[in-house]
Amino acid sequence: MADSNQPSDDFFNEFLDDYFAECEEHLTIVRRCLLDIEQFIGERVNDQSKLDELFRAFHTIKGISGMVGLEQAEQLSHEMEGYLRLLRQNEVSLTQFGFDSLLEGTRVLEEVIQAHKEHYPIPEIAPAVASISRVASNDTQVTSTTPSSSSGDTKGNWRFLFAPSKEHAASGINVNLVRERLQEVGQILRTTPLVEAGEVVFEFIVDTNLSLEELQPLSEIGLTFNQLHAQEDAAEQVSTSAATSPATTSVRVDLVRLDQLMLQVGELVVTRARLEQNLNSIRTLVPAATWRQLQEVKVTLGKQLKDLRNDVMRVRMVPIAEVFDRMRFVVRDIARETHKRVAIDLSGKETEIDKYLVERLMDPLLHLVRNSISHGIEPEQERIAAGKPAEGQVFLRAQTSGELVIIEIGDDGRGIDIEKVQDKSPGVELIDAHGEIDTTTLLELISAPGFSTRQSADMSSGRGVGMDVVARSIHDLDGHLTLKTEPGVGTTFRIQLPLTLAITDALIANADGQTFAIHRSSVEEVIELQTQDINLLENNEIILHRDDVLPLVRLSRIFNLNDKREGTLHAFIVGTGSHRTGLVVDKVVGLREVVVRSMNDPLVDVPGIAGATELGDGRPVLILDVMEILRVAQNPIQQSSN
Amino acid sequence: MSTEQQRRILIVDDSRTMRRMVATSLAKIDQCKFEEAENGLEAIERLVLGPADLMILDLNMPEIHGIDVLRFVRARPMYQSMHVVVLTTKGEESIRREAMAAGASLYLTKPFSSSELESKVRGLLATSKE
Repeated sequence: MADSNQPSDDFFNEFLDDYFAECEEHLTIVRRCLLDIEQFIGERVNDQSKLDELFRAFHTIKGISGMVGLEQAEQLSHEMEGYLRLLRQNEVSLTQFGFDSLLEGTRVLEEVIQAHKEHYPIPEIAPAVASISRVASNDTQVTSTTPSSSSGDTKGNWRFLFAPSKEHAASGINVNLVRERLQEVGQILRTTPLVEAGEVVFEFIVDTNLSLEELQPLSEIGLTFNQLHAQEDAAEQVSTSAATSPATTSVRVDLVRLDQLMLQVGELVVTRARLEQNLNSIRTLVPAATWRQLQEVKVTLGKQLKDLRNDVMRVRMVPIAEVFDRMRFVVRDIARETHKRVAIDLSGKETEIDKYLVERLMDPLLHLVRNSISHGIEPEQERIAAGKPAEGQVFLRAQTSGELVIIEIGDDGRGIDIEKVQDKSPGVELIDAHGEIDTTTLLELISAPGFSTRQSADMSSGRGVGMDVVARSIHDLDGHLTLKTEPGVGTTFRIQLPLTLAITDALIANADGQTFAIHRSSVEEVIELQTQDINLLENNEIILHRDDVLPLVRLSRIFNLNDKREGTLHAFIVGTGSHRTGLVVDKVVGLREVVVRSMNDPLVDVPGIAGATELGDGRPVLILDVMEILRVAQNPIQQSSN
Repeated sequence: MSTEQQRRILIVDDSRTMRRMVATSLAKIDQCKFEEAENGLEAIERLVLGPADLMILDLNMPEIHGIDVLRFVRARPMYQSMHVVVLTTKGEESIRREAMAAGASLYLTKPFSSSELESKVRGLLATSKE
């Protein structure tokens, strides 16, 4: 395609990052819209706005691909655009084959762009191109019988007028903002620039259920409006162009810059701590009044810094919808591969998480959703026999809770076959005395490397494709994975993640003269205990806490320090369920805001250490990896090998 | 090109990457101030708030097609002297004719060459400032 034109110059290669980012945005739109039009297979697509969005997304990808010289992407999106033009003009119905070709074309297009990004050989596009052009030429022969109505029932539409002016612009009111607000109240059916009394005004015809009273606040942004009558509506129905995706009034910032900004905030946090330390040392040297003032400044600074940190953090936040919407696509694909009927239920899509996490969550969530469908959801017959709805349910939910975000992925399938898991792990008891499933141990077993891949024969009942990868990824994100399963009812995985990784609240503690930090979010409670209250049970130290037995792990023992301290000690209660453990330290120093620095030297790989930080006095301190410590403590053999 | 006044160039395209590519291609032209609009509505709004010397206009955009933007502004006397470069993805000849009939000064297709765009725009700006 491009050969008849000017060759795109190398000049544009500097835009590759923008190119990939924008392609990703459009592909996200494409995936969402494709799922939305799937319901129209076998008929005319009665949703003009979705077709418009799809068409434009491919059109833009085609345009910018040509500019960076990626001809395969240009050609492929050109073909898809062509087919969509036919659909858009309502000349053809959407056939199953047509829809599949669009899906396949999108998949290949993604691969092509990805390959270009990763400098891999570009995959073959000929089959996808052939398939789409075949659809386009075959389907065109189907003649149209029913006239299209693009906007459906438009009774009672509203007409809004907005006149752009310097005054409006000065107070941040512009046509994009107006359009966004109108999209919130209903569907924009048509937009037209008009000239009224010599002034340019924009007319928006909007389909909304809101009343005059409810629409009243819109007058604050300079909109005047009235409801159209039936005849006017009929005239409006001729209109075609419909609403599009919400326009962004946002600024794009490179994630690296945000990382740097966060790092700088982190430096400030450390400097503030240092200031506090120095202030304390001059306390006796300054008059009380001056000291009070200094204290006030210190407190204000601390508060402002916290606000700054929160604001910077918020800038990094994006809705998890980006990941969730992708899952709808995945569910569809896997359901089709496995010949199962599966519906997906998404909730909490607006939940915001750190952009860094979004990118790293994609794969683990993909694995979990895939496992839910492949191994959780039963075949239709089996479900019906068990008295369940024929269609399986997979759900993804997200919510925030304090400084944490909680994501749940579950299904209403058969649940994990405990017996089969147990068979593979002789000597491990998965059912406790009360008949309850020990889910922590179960999760550990199925997350062991090679758990299921080796025993693929048991795959239908087991669950575990890549579970070790999932567990590792969540762990690397400082997250916490738990599981709930009930035979015949379903399985739910719960991922708990810190909202952001860079700065966190940590508890600082001493053990044998060494100082350690531990994420506050992983500590349930801090207790004080006396050495004489510690009992020995089969070589394990335990105490009674809240009428229950609490096993203890001495931090000093984990790191081979002196653990002979007597008298008053402190313990962090960590872990859940039967894995609740008291992590014993000599003394808890306090709660601090710390900047997390990762330890990425491959030569320094100490189990139980998650990273490092720096205290106010400049001392480096290791941050503990609680889950790893508990694991090390439970496997003494592994411990001695380290 | 030694004019005391800055020329205002409005780049209208719904692709962010494309807008940047255009702006960078024209960056070497002296005394120019660039503004961007991501759709036809915003383009008209920006022109209402202050006329531009030259507009680079994409055609296939959400809500208002570029041709309609062109027709609308050309119908207003104050925008008669503005140069409009239609820059669109290669399409049928009929669109070119339609764009020229609606008042485009120039019709270029994407993928475009940065040097060609630059020289064409220089040429247009020179004719208005001679």
